Amino acid sequence: MRKKQSFFLLPYLLWIILFVIAPMVLIVGYSLTNSQGHFSLQNFTLFFSKGTFIGMMLNSFWYALLITFFCLLISYPAALALTRLKNQQFWLMLVILPTWINLLLKAYAFIGIFSRDGMVNQFLHLFGLGPAEIMFTDFAFIFVATYIEIPFMIMPIYNSLKEIDPALISASSDLGANFWQTFRYVIWPLSWPGVESGIQAIFIPSLSLFMLTRLIGGNRVITLGTAVEEYFLTTMNWNMGSTIGVILIVLMTIVMVLTSRKQHKKEIKL
Amino acid sequence: MEIIKLDHITKEYDDGFVALKDINISIESGKFYSLLGPSGSGKTTILRIIAGFTEPSAGKLYFAGKDITGLDASKRHINTVFQNYALFPHLNVYENVAFGLKLKHRPDSEIRQKVKDALKTVRLDGYANREISELSGGQQQRVAIARAIINEPKVLLLDESLSALDKRLRKEMQFELRAIQKKLGITFIFVTHDQEEALAMSDEIFVLNDGTIQQSGSPVDIYDEPVNDFVARFIGDSNILSGKMIRDFEVEFAGKQFECADAGITPGEKVEVVLRPEDLDITATDPKLTMTVQSQLFLGDHFEIKAVDESGFEWLIHSTNGVKIGQEIGIFFDPEDIHVMRLGETEEEFDARLETYEGEDKE
Amino acid sequence: MKKHIWSKVYFFLVLAILYLPIFYLIYFSFSSGSNMDHFKGFTWRHYQTLFNDGRLLAILLETIMLALLSSLIATILGTLGAIAIENVKKSGVKRLLLSLNNVLMVSPDVIIGASFLILFTTLGFSLGFASVLLSHIAFSVPIVVLMVLPKLREMDNSLIDAARDLGASYYQVFSQVLLPALTPGIVSGMFMALTYSLDDFAVTFFVTGNGFTTLSVEIYSRARQGIDLEVNALSTIIFLFVLLLVGIYYLISNQQGKKGSKLGGLLR
Repeated sequence: MRKKQSFFLLPYLLWIILFVIAPMVLIVGYSLTNSQGHFSLQNFTLFFSKGTFIGMMLNSFWYALLITFFCLLISYPAALALTRLKNQQFWLMLVILPTWINLLLKAYAFIGIFSRDGMVNQFLHLFGLGPAEIMFTDFAFIFVATYIEIPFMIMPIYNSLKEIDPALISASSDLGANFWQTFRYVIWPLSWPGVESGIQAIFIPSLSLFMLTRLIGGNRVITLGTAVEEYFLTTMNWNMGSTIGVILIVLMTIVMVLTSRKQHKKEIKL
Repeated sequence: MEIIKLDHITKEYDDGFVALKDINISIESGKFYSLLGPSGSGKTTILRIIAGFTEPSAGKLYFAGKDITGLDASKRHINTVFQNYALFPHLNVYENVAFGLKLKHRPDSEIRQKVKDALKTVRLDGYANREISELSGGQQQRVAIARAIINEPKVLLLDESLSALDKRLRKEMQFELRAIQKKLGITFIFVTHDQEEALAMSDEIFVLNDGTIQQSGSPVDIYDEPVNDFVARFIGDSNILSGKMIRDFEVEFAGKQFECADAGITPGEKVEVVLRPEDLDITATDPKLTMTVQSQLFLGDHFEIKAVDESGFEWLIHSTNGVKIGQEIGIFFDPEDIHVMRLGETEEEFDARLETYEGEDKE
Repeated sequence: MKKHIWSKVYFFLVLAILYLPIFYLIYFSFSSGSNMDHFKGFTWRHYQTLFNDGRLLAILLETIMLALLSSLIATILGTLGAIAIENVKKSGVKRLLLSLNNVLMVSPDVIIGASFLILFTTLGFSLGFASVLLSHIAFSVPIVVLMVLPKLREMDNSLIDAARDLGASYYQVFSQVLLPALTPGIVSGMFMALTYSLDDFAVTFFVTGNGFTTLSVEIYSRARQGIDLEVNALSTIIFLFVLLLVGIYYLISNQQGKKGSKLGGLLR
């Protein structure tokens, strides 16, 4: 029995050691050494002493937050609307389908749409506006990132909305709630797990959309993700790149621990 | 006083299925009603129309004399205890019960007092801070009732509310529901497919089948004088035989003629005769019918015996004493135990006929 | 009732925006101009260029091969891993394994890419097809584990006991009872691994080196040089291909009875 057990466990453990533990150890190791390979905290002191890094860090989280927020704002009503349609599986399929078109292709499309003589500016021209410089702005970056992530937000929200027992909606209205009250007190809290997994599915990836920053955001190093790429692949300073990576990991862990903490209800004495 | 009236209510769904056909019901305040019928009979549709979750295709619904047919469910003074309770899983007991009052932005102190009273009514004092998932089925049922009565509705609707409970708990809750209804003094409309439940709790029962009301009346009336063989079969066990009316107070079935308590039927007319298994006594002397025992089940408080008479009809007999299989037994019953049903007679026709010969000695 | 109409309008507006960039690309793939601003007369030219571009077609083929191979190996590894995790008795160890499993799920792609790059260089592994393949397998394993685990938990343990009771050997229990019960999870896990691999840009970008390119990386480097309508033609082909796959899937799932086959597995 023991031998059979290890037959299942061994390859998997090998994977964990080689591709989970080893890379973690290595990246932390690199962050704690200088270019000569000696132990040093200079990367961290550099990071926290230079305003550009701190600013970039705040920027990364601010952009990720904005992208997640706009996604939620657009996707929640769409998911709710979807639950009221006929042939929901078909429409859901149409929502998911664009995610199979390579992300880079969609980003590439926006190079055309946002260009100086592109669709948006032609449209603005009709109203006597423009031409606006849209390409290579933060707006363009956030817009395209939001666009790309929308299906990944609609999907989990839709699933959690579908799981709500329709009788609960009836019960709420039976007890005197109007549409907004039912939404606020019943639908929203019950769909929260879906919202939460949507946020998780978007917030983390939007920290590493360096290709969008490069293509649409104007080739500037504005987020930590871009910085990591810059240090690893352009300036070849792996130690500094690892440091930024480690800081990113630590920040993410803190955010996740904070958001996953359960709130305790107040006891009510009768 | 009449509180709810369904006036020629019909419900046809988009796919053409007719759930209700011309339903006319009058509900008085302060009574316990049951809508009894098999699944698909339309009883839940009636409930949903009264609650406001479904709109009738035709007809009007009145509440205390006012037409509320198109009124939103949230604006009706009617509350519902749902089939699977529909308690909000993200809220605890207190928050569930307080839900209706919170919506009205009542002051905290008032909410607390009322929740406390409601929980006391359903005997759940001290459960305020429990999560719904920690409660048993019976407790969830009580929370659902407390939540529904907190808005002080005039009418409480209960949709198959006991069907999810086990048998012992169901019995207990029947007493409790009746007690709560008496205490609150409001109208309960209880939907069920379980005839025992309906008989045990109701002041009045509406028996439904195929979207029409088959019979309405007190539990005793419906049990003793079913208007047709659907009601007879659906309410309790029964022996239903085809027979022929000889003259008033005399009917023929199983190849013999018997004295009975029914009249007003044309002599020679084909009829159906109902005999309840508990009204049949096994006797050695002077039997009205003789039959051979086929099988016997012991059910704790009585024996259920199946026996075949000379005409080949299989009888169901309830007896406190056992018999032997293959044994020849004699059966005795009183004239009042025989209930004669005319084929295709409606409830109104039945009531009218009853008036002609029973009017004076009843009430 | 009015509310419903507006919610419909809103939904279809969102849907339209989702498809706008894709149709924008397709539209200009037929333009004889050289940019995506103004349509200049219909032409098949870009498609001819595409089909004569041996390099791009080879990359397309290699990308698909890579996805199939990596998802297949990741599925095997992940399924074994899920069984192994489920068999662990100590809850502390189990939790540790699950957390380690999820590390790659919650890490940003750049970090995964960067740390794998360090790993391969430290091990003296040359960058190329092999390093990309290993990386794709590595980041696909955890999702397979997560898709198979619930099926393992759902499974009635008495099934295995029953099979043992009827005299099945350990291998027979595995192949006749365990695997069939896990198949839905394994299939959706493999599907997810496939989409992960096809979709990935960031990790590949870090570990690809000079010799080997995937479609994502190729499009990226072309897009950085500006508009190239051959890329538009390529998107049309990809879109049609995806449409075909979805159509087939939809037909199959519709035929398999309408008891609401879940689409969940189709999302990354």
